[in-house]
Amino acid sequence: MTTPQSALHRCCRPMLVTLAAAALTACGGGGESSAPPVTTPPPPTLTRQAMVDASRLAAQATFGLTYEDIESLARRGREAWLTAQFALPASLHRPLIDDFLARRAAGEFDDFEEDIEFLIYFRRLAWWHTTITADDVLRQRVAFALSQIFVVSDNVDTLLIYPHALSEYYDLLQRHAFGNFRDLLRDVTLSPAMGIYLSHVNNRRSNPAANTFPDENYAREVMQLFSIGLFELNIDGSVQTDAGGLPLPAYSNEDIREFAKIFTGLSFGGPNASFGSIEPFFTAPMRMFDAAHEPGEKRLLNGAIVPAGQTGDEDIEAAIDNLFNHPNVGPFIGKQLIQRLVTSNPSPAYVERVARAFNGEGGTPRGDMQAVLRAVLLDAEATAAPGSISDFGKLREPVVRYTALLRHFNVESDDGFIANLGFTLQSLTRQHPLSAPSVFNFYLPSHSPPGDIAAAGLVAPEFQILNSNTVVNFANILDFVLFTEFVTEAPEPFVSARINLDDYIAIADDVDELLERLDIVMTYGTLQASTRNAIRAAIEPVDDNNLRVRAAIYLIGVSSDYAVRL
Amino acid sequence: MLNRRRFLGHSCALGVAGTTVATTLGQLALTREATAQQSGYRALVCILLAGGNDSYNMLVPTGTSQHDAYSAIRSDLALPRNELIGLPGAAANGETYGVHPGMPELATLFTNGEAAMIANVGTLLEAVDAAAIEAGTARVPVGLFSHADQINQWQTAAPADRIADGWGGRIADRLQSVNAANGISMNISLSGTNVFQSGLNSTEYSIGATGNGVVGINGYGDTDEFGQFRTESIDALLAIDQSSLLRREYRQRLRASIDAQSVFAGALAQATDLATTFTTSPFSQALRQIARVISVRDVLGATRQTFFVTVGGWDHHDEVINNQAMMLPAISQGLGEFRDALVELGVFTDVTTFTTSDFGRTLTSNGRGSDHGWGGHHIVMGGAVNGGEIYGDYPLLATNSPLDVGRGIYIPTTAVDEYFAELALWFGVGTNDIDYVLPNLRAFYTPGTPPPLGFMSNR
Repeated sequence: MTTPQSALHRCCRPMLVTLAAAALTACGGGGESSAPPVTTPPPPTLTRQAMVDASRLAAQATFGLTYEDIESLARRGREAWLTAQFALPASLHRPLIDDFLARRAAGEFDDFEEDIEFLIYFRRLAWWHTTITADDVLRQRVAFALSQIFVVSDNVDTLLIYPHALSEYYDLLQRHAFGNFRDLLRDVTLSPAMGIYLSHVNNRRSNPAANTFPDENYAREVMQLFSIGLFELNIDGSVQTDAGGLPLPAYSNEDIREFAKIFTGLSFGGPNASFGSIEPFFTAPMRMFDAAHEPGEKRLLNGAIVPAGQTGDEDIEAAIDNLFNHPNVGPFIGKQLIQRLVTSNPSPAYVERVARAFNGEGGTPRGDMQAVLRAVLLDAEATAAPGSISDFGKLREPVVRYTALLRHFNVESDDGFIANLGFTLQSLTRQHPLSAPSVFNFYLPSHSPPGDIAAAGLVAPEFQILNSNTVVNFANILDFVLFTEFVTEAPEPFVSARINLDDYIAIADDVDELLERLDIVMTYGTLQASTRNAIRAAIEPVDDNNLRVRAAIYLIGVSSDYAVRL
Repeated sequence: MLNRRRFLGHSCALGVAGTTVATTLGQLALTREATAQQSGYRALVCILLAGGNDSYNMLVPTGTSQHDAYSAIRSDLALPRNELIGLPGAAANGETYGVHPGMPELATLFTNGEAAMIANVGTLLEAVDAAAIEAGTARVPVGLFSHADQINQWQTAAPADRIADGWGGRIADRLQSVNAANGISMNISLSGTNVFQSGLNSTEYSIGATGNGVVGINGYGDTDEFGQFRTESIDALLAIDQSSLLRREYRQRLRASIDAQSVFAGALAQATDLATTFTTSPFSQALRQIARVISVRDVLGATRQTFFVTVGGWDHHDEVINNQAMMLPAISQGLGEFRDALVELGVFTDVTTFTTSDFGRTLTSNGRGSDHGWGGHHIVMGGAVNGGEIYGDYPLLATNSPLDVGRGIYIPTTAVDEYFAELALWFGVGTNDIDYVLPNLRAFYTPGTPPPLGFMSNR
């Protein structure tokens, strides 16, 4: 298999040859800037405040927007924009995967598959093209956040090799992103990718004669990671303690053994399904085979009982209900969504408001994801002036830093397909969608870097993958995108994308206007004066406007003001 | 003025910036003289088998009756007796043991007295028995059997709490100053940020397994016009104070990385060209890089170092037999290669390598694999190890074992604190610091008395 490192070196060699030509073509000095979109009647001018507010919401709720998209969001207003986003259909991966498979069957990739089978590329190509180009920008970003809670990963070979394995899983997350949490939890439970990842596919009833017992893996993680967490929580997310001050466990090892019995009897679905089949089938949920399902009564949490004699499917529905209705779910999931989208250290009151939205106190059904997302993104804490709440904000994660760079700056390609594999990004930053090293994601929600942050009692999960190596590597990714031909990692016959900076080059004579626009788009007005002055001093002597723009984006991208958003 | 061609032309040098390190190295040599009074070099190499290695199939009874009991409990997960590689001698319980058939190098290391096994180690707050656990009166580690907690506690040595600082990091809190002050932590990780090497005031220095282990910012430090532009503008950005704690932390990490990179890359450029060959497995390559770093310990001004490498994928709820048959040989091979490289460098006595893991696993099967357990067996290797012995108590396996808390989960008979204390004391952690490094140690061992397990020689 090609390593990401060698992929990098491959990209580098032809680049040397093409540099001169690139300098000629890309160096147009802004002469071909695209005409502004025609709108009648001309809309009222937006205030700077409206623009930075809109841009901040975009930073929290999308993979990055262009200046024009931010204007459009600003004109709509936050709530109307959310409503419109909720209404957009999901940009599913399935059609792209099926198209790739058809093209492969027709021989289109034969000449390029000598070293490596394209099958492992397809789900990555689908993710990147969709994420960079889709209009349902909120859904895409929320699906990614969910993928860091309900973790599956291509570090398991079966999920790497079969193109539908992870694309179908991501589609599942997309479909439920604006639906109900209970449906999400049930469908994740029945997902064949999850069945493989947490080994409850082909999990068999106990056999006392052979001294074998149900697999406890999914039973444990569905509670610890996907629904209620380790400890009984108050509605504001704080941990309940006993008289001695020790945290109250939300479940015992005995509970795990009872739930393990529930998750027996599942195998792959599809036309030739049979229990124990090892041939994966990814385009349908797992199917229950009652003969392999643990019979008898099972005890659930909080005193609930599953009576003997139910079917396996009925048992699972009962167990999902039991977990879904646990009071922990709102604060446990709500806080993680806040951390993924908005800030690492939400106040207990913020968590409580989101938990109450989850619980349906605003009149929506319990688990309504639209209500939860409104609560997360429209909360007074999320929208308060940047810097006005101490310790508010989060380190931008590598995947989002990279996508934003492409999405802010009008990424385009010759064939309209934005091809990227992400192996380089993964190798250099330790992050790639659905490629976490374990079910515990790339970082823990509780990660607290030693030093001042830990001393202040704060967490900063994303710092878990920002070490002496990766912190520099990301600066070099900015370098590739801005100063080389390596904008995306496209395997032949796909073509690399490029960014289009014409709109910025057109205004770059005026350094202040350039920095003002970049500040609005990249840092929603939070570039502090000292940073802006340092960048201004650096780029003003650069007399080629194309270079000036690229240098400005590079320096903002490297700066602390950008890396950590407030 | 800058022109575009120069702007673009630098960028193909993906890896190492052409930085002058002569000045820094000169400073280093001076610093090193100051620390030369310290005792000789010592290093700990921590191998984390993430996911929970099923170590009851790594170290297995070979006596007939104990192997029969093992087979009865493990059912379809049992390894046949005639496939095990027998180890010489007997454990304290009088029984004989062998290692997994895929680990011949480990068997050789053990037989030659260069490696020891530590039996049934795990996280404990205090000595407990199954009856107390059954009755709910036992004090046990938080989050027992859970990956997140147990993998954490094997690194924090603080089983009553959820803390983020590890015992290697706390060692660095106290001992970092014996090394040269060049911005490179005494704790070097091949697997990125980790709990073991995070102290209250210390973080790991992360390197990669390839090349000289570190990269710099492309173009930074270059002497051409664009290099100067880049260096000056980034230096100016990183000089700006930040009020946000998170922004300050990012700035500090980027600055520290840029500063340390030239020192480290310059040192590694002088690494010994090892005659020992390593296989291409990521584990072997990580150990190779560790050996290379150790070969330039003097250039780095290091008298004490810890190294950390994770090998993931041990959570074998299914296919445990097949997966271990693929994965344990890589561990064994890597250890054999690493031993040879350390002998080649003349530092085998100065470097102690040890394994850790989330937990052992259930001895009973779930039909395809095993689930989360508690006590497990571990490997210690090095010239200072009193090898060829199994330390601690390997439990006598029985369906009604008093140590079994259900599904063949055995209560640890040796606490991780004892295991780690032996290593920390050898490393040079004094009795003044040992409570800071291992806060739960006194439940099992009184500092100042002979080392708890005796597997390290005092030299």
